[in-house]
This record gives sequence, C-alpha cells and structure tokens, in this order.
Amino acid sequence: MSVIEAKSVSKIYNPDTIPVHAINDVSLTIEEGEFTAIVGPSGCGKTTLLNMIGGLDSVSEGHISVSGVNIADLNEAALTDFRLKNIGFVFQSYNLIPVLTAKENVEFVMLLQQSHQSAMDERADELLTKMGIKEVSQRRPAELSGGQQQRVAVARALASKPKFILADEPTANLDSHSTESLLDIMAKMNEEEKATFIFSTHDQRVIDKARRIITLEDGRIVSDEKK
Amino acid sequence: MILSLAWKNIWRSKKRSFVVIGAIIVGVWALVFMFAFYNSFIEAFSRNGVNHDYSHIQIHNPDYLIEPGLEFRLSEVEALEQSLNGSQSVKSWSGRQIVNGMLASPKTSLGVQIYGVVPDAEAQTTGLESQLLDGTYFSAIKRNPILISEKLADKLKVKVRSKVVITLQKLDREITAASFRVEGIFKSKSPRINESAAYVRLSDLQSLTAVTGLNEMAVYLNDSELILPVKDSLSAVTNDLVRTYREIAPEFDMMEQQSAMTKQIVTVIIMLALLFGIVNTMLMAVLERTKEIGMLRSIGMHKKSVFRMIILETCLMSLIAGPLGLFFGYLTNMWLETNGMDLSAYATALEEYGMDAIFYPSIENVTYPILMMVVIFTAFLGAVYPAIKAIKLDPLEAIRKL
Repeated sequence: MSVIEAKSVSKIYNPDTIPVHAINDVSLTIEEGEFTAIVGPSGCGKTTLLNMIGGLDSVSEGHISVSGVNIADLNEAALTDFRLKNIGFVFQSYNLIPVLTAKENVEFVMLLQQSHQSAMDERADELLTKMGIKEVSQRRPAELSGGQQQRVAVARALASKPKFILADEPTANLDSHSTESLLDIMAKMNEEEKATFIFSTHDQRVIDKARRIITLEDGRIVSDEKK
Repeated sequence: MILSLAWKNIWRSKKRSFVVIGAIIVGVWALVFMFAFYNSFIEAFSRNGVNHDYSHIQIHNPDYLIEPGLEFRLSEVEALEQSLNGSQSVKSWSGRQIVNGMLASPKTSLGVQIYGVVPDAEAQTTGLESQLLDGTYFSAIKRNPILISEKLADKLKVKVRSKVVITLQKLDREITAASFRVEGIFKSKSPRINESAAYVRLSDLQSLTAVTGLNEMAVYLNDSELILPVKDSLSAVTNDLVRTYREIAPEFDMMEQQSAMTKQIVTVIIMLALLFGIVNTMLMAVLERTKEIGMLRSIGMHKKSVFRMIILETCLMSLIAGPLGLFFGYLTNMWLETNGMDLSAYATALEEYGMDAIFYPSIENVTYPILMMVVIFTAFLGAVYPAIKAIKLDPLEAIRKL
C-alpha cells in the first residue's frame, strides 16, 4: 500500500525573475514500511523534495498525496494538523527542546495530539528503552551526547506512530560509531514498528543500510534501485 | 505542557527574566506608593479643610451667598439649634456672626473678616484653641479679646496683649470702631483663615454691630459618612441654605479629580515603560528561538499554541512580579502609615495648600487587585507583538537556518 505518491512534481524558485528548477518533473511512490534513502550531490534537490513531501514547502507543478490526501488542498492549519498526525521529522541538528528532558521531548508530539498522560508515559518509556537511552530519560539535551540526542529525536518522531518519518541528513553531525548505532536502531524500528523511513543523505553508511535508493541529479530522478 | 513549557522557557535566560521581573516589581511598587501618596495628599487636604475651616456642613441665609453682609442672617436659629443639639450624628457646631472690617495697629491697618464666635463651640468645631502659637484662648483678657493669625500679626506688627482697633460699618451704614487686645496668635491649617480671619467673642461683636443673630452655622459630624442624612434633616427644619463642604468649596472635588487624573497619567506612563521593556525582552526571546519555533511549527504545533506559549511566558512573569511589587508596596505603605513621610523641606509650599509637612500614605485594599489586573493586561499587551512575530515565522525558513 502506497503512503506517498508524487506525480510530475516540480519546484521552481523565483518563477517571475530568474527561475531555478530545484525539482524537475519527479514522480515516485513510497510504500508502507519502506526504508528509503534519497541520495545525490549537494544542491540536487534532496532536501527540497523532502520538504515538499513533508508539507513544509509548496509544489510548483504536479501534486503530492499522502495516504490519498493531496497536501496542496490543505490550508495552513489543516496542513499543520496533517503533519502532526501523519509525519515524523528528524533533523540534522537534532532540534530538541532544550528546556525539556529527553522523555518530555519524546512526549511532546503526543502532547500536541492531546494524548493521555499515561499513554504518553508508556509510549515514551517504550521508545526510550528501544533506543537504549532509558537511563538518560530525565536529562536535558545539553546533558546528552550528539548520538543520544539524535536517538531522542528519532523517538520523538516515532512517538505518535506517524505514517512515515522524514529524516534530513540525520547522521551528518554524528561520528561513525553513533551513526552505526543510530542506523541500527532506525532499521530495528522499521522492522518492529513498521515505520516508513525516508532519508535524504549522502552518507555511504546510510546508503548501505537503505533498502531502496533514489538518486537525484539536478532535480531529476536518475535512478531508483531496490535492494 | 504548554504552561509547563512556557514556565521552563522563562528560566532559559535567568538574567533576562530577572530584569523583566525586577522592572515589573519596581513599576508596581512605584504605582502603589504613588497611589498611597496621592491618597494621603488628598486626605490631608480634605481633613484640614473640614477640621479647621469649613466643617462638614454650613448653613447660611441664601442671600448671604450672593452678597455676604451682616444683614443676611439665619432665619430659624432656634429650630436649627434644637435639631443640632438633639442629633446623635453631630459632634459639635458653632454659630458665627461674620462681618468685614478694618483691623488697625499703630503701624498699619488691614481688611479682615471678623468672626464673632462662642469660644468653646468654636474650639470644639474647628480646633481653634489647639492652633494657638502664643497667648491664651479667650480666658486671660476680660474686655474685648481678639485672636489673630500669625500672618496678620506679622503684617500688623503686633504681638500678644497689643492693642488693635476694629472698624466696621453697621447696618445703618454708620461707621463704628472698638478697641480690642490681642489675646492669642494662632496658625490655622486653613490658608484662607490665616490670610484674613480674626476671632472675637460673639457677644463683643454683637455689641459692636448692634445686631443679634448669626450669619453662619458650621456643623462638625461624628462621621463624614453622615453628611447627606444630616444635611437632609437640617434642610427639613429651615429655609436657610444647608450645604456640605464640597458644595461650599469646589476645590475639594477639583483636587480629587486632579489626583485621579494624575494617578491615571502616571499609571499609563509607568505601564508604557513596562510595555516597551516587555516587548523588547520578549522580542529578543522569540528571535533567539527562531529555529526552535520553526521546528515546533514543523512537527505540528499550531500557530495558536505558539501564540499562547509566548503570551503565557510573559503573563507568568507578571504573575511572579506583580504580587511581589504589591507586597513591597504594601510593606512600604505600612511603614509610612505608622511613621509618616516627612516633607518638611517643602513645608512652606504645603502650608499654602493647607497641608501638614508629614504625610501618612495609605491605600484602599481594592487598589491592589486593580493594579494586579493592570499589570497582567500590560504584560499581555507587551507579549502580543512578539507572539505575532513568532507565529509569522515560516517553519521552512526557520528549518533552513538549522
């Protein structure tokens, strides 16, 4: 069952002055449970594509639908709600809330969804245990290593059981040991939670772990390989 | 958790939050003190005016108010006396004959208002006896004693036991004069009395004018809350004009209105200063958290939640600072209410307004919650612009800064 369908999607910046085609007629389908890496050189449009899939950036041409919903049809509030309910985000710089503990950070999205405290506690504990960071659950981000922070970020993205997780260069700021460890955890989550992961990356270690690799060049898909 | 997050956000930059909280505390304290000071100013002005000049109620012949003259006397003195003596609300009253005349010393002469009074009644009604600086109160000099103010004594260059001559016009236009001896020199808390009043015994003045009766009755009550009922009951027994001190002297209302206006203006100025401080601080707080707010919006936090979070942060600070400012203001006023605030350096100017140099600031309890609401409202206003800035952030722009 497809989670994401992009049809003839283009993104043109400065259409009225000097048009820049960041994404050019891209079509793709992401199935539930995929572990996909979007790769390519810097400036090829990986992050732009991810942003459009995540509803953070608009589509100039074509359309993207998530679980059958054309995200271009949603107004701002509905789009925010849509992101909250359907998409988990993992950022390159972790972006945890510095004044909250690791556990509170994990619970935050569930809180926005107005989940019950007991359900939030249970889910946060479960994820932090799976991530292997249960013992630091009461620490604030500044007291955690980069690898631990990114694991908290992944746990936060998974907390509300979204339809898919967008991870933009998730390993860019991590050392090799933390990268390996994070990739193992994400693969495990993909298995155990049936979570769909879509990465943008040019990290070979991520590419090696991915089961599908979509390669972009100058805003176009030049290859789409499944392992 | 929005509340919890807002609370935790306050303490991200402790120094900055303490500056805002400190500014609110000082602002609120200043407001409480200023309100209390103005209250004491007005209270002293009214108290001295009532206690030493107008009393609570005065009764006059209606024509006396058009052209004050000896001929316009009270028409129903006996009925009024009966009513006043029988009233539980009346503490004391003083009947007066009042005539304009000349007061001459060997050095100079001055136009004065001569009050013929019953000494004991006047002492109880206006506290004239207690205001004596020198001499005695209608007891040492048997024939024609007179009390004059320190100001008049200086102008006339006379002292206790000096001889002065009162010259006045009788009802038949004939000029008459009599010699009086200064028995006492007083300093009233009423500038009007100090400027031009001289007190003689009612019987002495009636002999001089050859007129019986009174031109004025001043009534001092046990409680100022009783003014209107007593006024009504007195009006019922006489055709003369019964007026409250506020009706007689509009400066009381004017001072109160001026004070209220000043309090409002100072409140607005202090709150504007706080407002700009809050806007500036919260704007800094929002701009420092651009990336984080962008992330919050990206992961699904609605604009209204972001708005609420910023507003809550500011209101929480005002909820910490406001009560502290009120408490410090309360403590300051408690101390000043007991010990007084000595403004002797401005005594001369204050005397011109009929006020003492020591003030006892006090504030009504109802003012505290009102000030608290004003502070919270100001904090809310101060947070609106930064909150709007926060919700206008484009999540994608913010993410690009990551």
